[in-house]
Amino acid sequence: MAELNSTKLNAESHLLLDQPLLRMPYELSRRNFKNAQRLIEHSTTSLTSTLSSTTKSASKTADPTQTLESLDAMISKMQGLKRKLSTLQEEEARLHKAAKARLQHLQDLHDVQSLVDVKYDEWSRVRLSRLLVDYLLREGYASSAACLAQSKGIEDLVDVDAFISCHKIERSLREGMSTALALEWCKEHGKELKKGGSMLEFELRLQQYIEMVRQGHESGVSGMEGEFGREGVSVGGGGGEQKLVEARAHAKKYLSASGDFELLGRAAGLLAYRPWDEVEPYASLYSPSRWSHLASLFLTTHHNLYSLPPRPLLHIALSAGLSALKTPACHSAYTSSSANASSSTTTVCPICSTELNELARNVPYAHHTKSIVENDPVVLPNGRVYGSERLRLFNEKVGTEKGWVRDPVAGKTDELWKESEVRRVFVL
Amino acid sequence: MDDLREQIELLESSANLSTSIYDVQKSIDLLTAAREKIAADPSKAPLTLAKLHDPFKKTMDAAQKDLKPIYSGLNKYGKALDKKFKDKPLPSADNDALSSHPSLINRAIAMHLLREGQFDVASTFVEEAHRHPPHPEPTLNTPDPSRTDSWEQDLAEGTFNSENLQRQFADMYHILHELRNERNLEPAIQWAREKSDILEARGSNLEFELCRLQFICLFVQNQDDSVDDKPAGPLRAWNYARQAFGMFSQRYAREIQHLMGAMAYYENVEDSPYQRYFYNDAAWEEVAHSFNREFCSLLGLSADSPLFIAATAGAIALPYLLKMQSIMKERRAEWTTQNELPVEIPLPSTYHFHSIFVCPVSKEQTTDANPPMMMPCGHVIASESLDKLSKGARFKCPYCPTESHPRDAKKVVL
Repeated sequence: MAELNSTKLNAESHLLLDQPLLRMPYELSRRNFKNAQRLIEHSTTSLTSTLSSTTKSASKTADPTQTLESLDAMISKMQGLKRKLSTLQEEEARLHKAAKARLQHLQDLHDVQSLVDVKYDEWSRVRLSRLLVDYLLREGYASSAACLAQSKGIEDLVDVDAFISCHKIERSLREGMSTALALEWCKEHGKELKKGGSMLEFELRLQQYIEMVRQGHESGVSGMEGEFGREGVSVGGGGGEQKLVEARAHAKKYLSASGDFELLGRAAGLLAYRPWDEVEPYASLYSPSRWSHLASLFLTTHHNLYSLPPRPLLHIALSAGLSALKTPACHSAYTSSSANASSSTTTVCPICSTELNELARNVPYAHHTKSIVENDPVVLPNGRVYGSERLRLFNEKVGTEKGWVRDPVAGKTDELWKESEVRRVFVL
Repeated sequence: MDDLREQIELLESSANLSTSIYDVQKSIDLLTAAREKIAADPSKAPLTLAKLHDPFKKTMDAAQKDLKPIYSGLNKYGKALDKKFKDKPLPSADNDALSSHPSLINRAIAMHLLREGQFDVASTFVEEAHRHPPHPEPTLNTPDPSRTDSWEQDLAEGTFNSENLQRQFADMYHILHELRNERNLEPAIQWAREKSDILEARGSNLEFELCRLQFICLFVQNQDDSVDDKPAGPLRAWNYARQAFGMFSQRYAREIQHLMGAMAYYENVEDSPYQRYFYNDAAWEEVAHSFNREFCSLLGLSADSPLFIAATAGAIALPYLLKMQSIMKERRAEWTTQNELPVEIPLPSTYHFHSIFVCPVSKEQTTDANPPMMMPCGHVIASESLDKLSKGARFKCPYCPTESHPRDAKKVVL
């Protein structure tokens, strides 16, 4: 009965890891639809007004050249719209295809009844490949991800392109120290960001402001270095001052609406404190580490918006799996009798295998309420416990003389014991 | 599931951008027609344009209206998704223990790719990971990952960059390929012969099994092209046996006898008692499988990808862990034993590798610090329970009438 319970596959609850699989194409479809909507709306308003004005001007002059020209412009605009819509339509079809493939993939799981079914193994292998691609994409290893997706034939089940564009923006923040791409993204997703109360755009604008102030201070200093050197808190002159004025205007335009007066006060303080003054809290605003903060903020905002979990799914699956599989024996100082690499009667436990051993060191081990031992356990004089059948099999294979026993972990070279020295052991 | 599929099919078949595009094309046609008319007769320009105004606006409105079914279709689909995942939260970062060890994860992935034979992907990955080393992030059990990071990176680098490992797996795939697809035993036998001592000490009869399969192949091959009434196959097999079986004569005397016995039936092995040796299609797969296992074991690796087993076990465990988390949140309980999970996760028995000993007295799993002890009567309890029960003096076993002194209890390793 217990075995039956533990092998039954409950597909519904098994889908915990797979929500993003369906969410992502849905969100992308919506984005795609919105783009189309915006394009058509824009063209409609701009073209109908052009048409009215052309009509008006055409009634004033008899010369058709201008009318024809503006008609040509309208036609080419419309053709541009059609071209753009066709691209969106292709994208739409691709997304639908992907969504269908994913639904089918999940449906396949519903057709499997048992966790020990070979079909479940196959399905789970596909899932692992998906998780790996997801991990690679999140870590920014795009070509590896594309390569793996292709070689496994699961392109429809992963979102390579979406992640590539996400990482382009992240890198532009982290490494390029530029807000342009991220701000563009904010503009595209303005409505949803506002709804979610995201601080991303504000933070980006603040960074722009900080950079303007920094430039102002720097060029201010180079302008008056000869006269005063680096003394006093005075605001620099020359080109620097101009920059600082711009910065103030920028702050007025973009930052003042936030209502966070404490932060605004600090931001204003930047005008007086220069990047090299090392006075807190201004120094931390000037600090380059803000860029990586912005990059992570962008990632969380992006993942939230697309219903992606904050950490790679592989981490989540693996953390749970490591714990479920780990036993106190996996990091024990003594070689386990029941699973080790030194005899061919046992399989190496995945947690003991080189790949995962160090990773598993910090996770808790599985909870068990019942002992799990081989049938008919016996103990050797050295304290090692084996199932008697396995012990017999090993000794047969090694060719131990009759009446004697060898320890499978020690192998052929170690001591021999008389069979009578092997004792039964009772594990309750 | 089905309603989701219906929605998607509906979206795909009817609610898509094609109708809008059709309308846009219609307005292009209107514009071009008007243009031609004006070009032909400039005097009618104002009239044509005025006439154009309404139909143009109508088609553009139609293009906008056509988007409505997409909008509502997507909405419906979104609602169906919400319903489907209503009680399934996105897995949170709470049970993520791995973000603080990215280089170890990368290593595990690289090794996984290698052992799956994905050499191209693996080398792309190694190269890319080298260019952009990962950033560790703090987790519950490792709040300060930067401290251990450099050590971990060194450890990971060791195997990560090792061409040695890649070569090993390339060898393995070569041999497996020859075995499975070419039915060529030569490379496998050569490998087994090189490792003969280790394999023998492990109690593996891989080498003999390979040689036996070779013998059988030679025996069955070209049964028909007998020269001078001498059956070519069995003769070749006989020669092979004389040359190769010598070293096995002690360990596998019985099996060799069987094979030799089969020689007598060389004309009709199919009907002989030895038939099962000679016509066993699974033999190749079995040999390939056991080769794979031995090869990985010699490298200290498990035969199936650990990443695969762990991820699968994780997916099985996740519902239990999430349920536990939500219960603990409700009761505001703290999880007191950080090094052991608070719930039992029922994994199929194929996922049990080590023996587990749970002390029948304390109900705790034994560890290195609290090992299982066997009393002279053969019953086993945990060391701490032993101390508590005996208090250093003679005591009665809790499970049988035998009395013993704690110093007679013996540590056992399961």
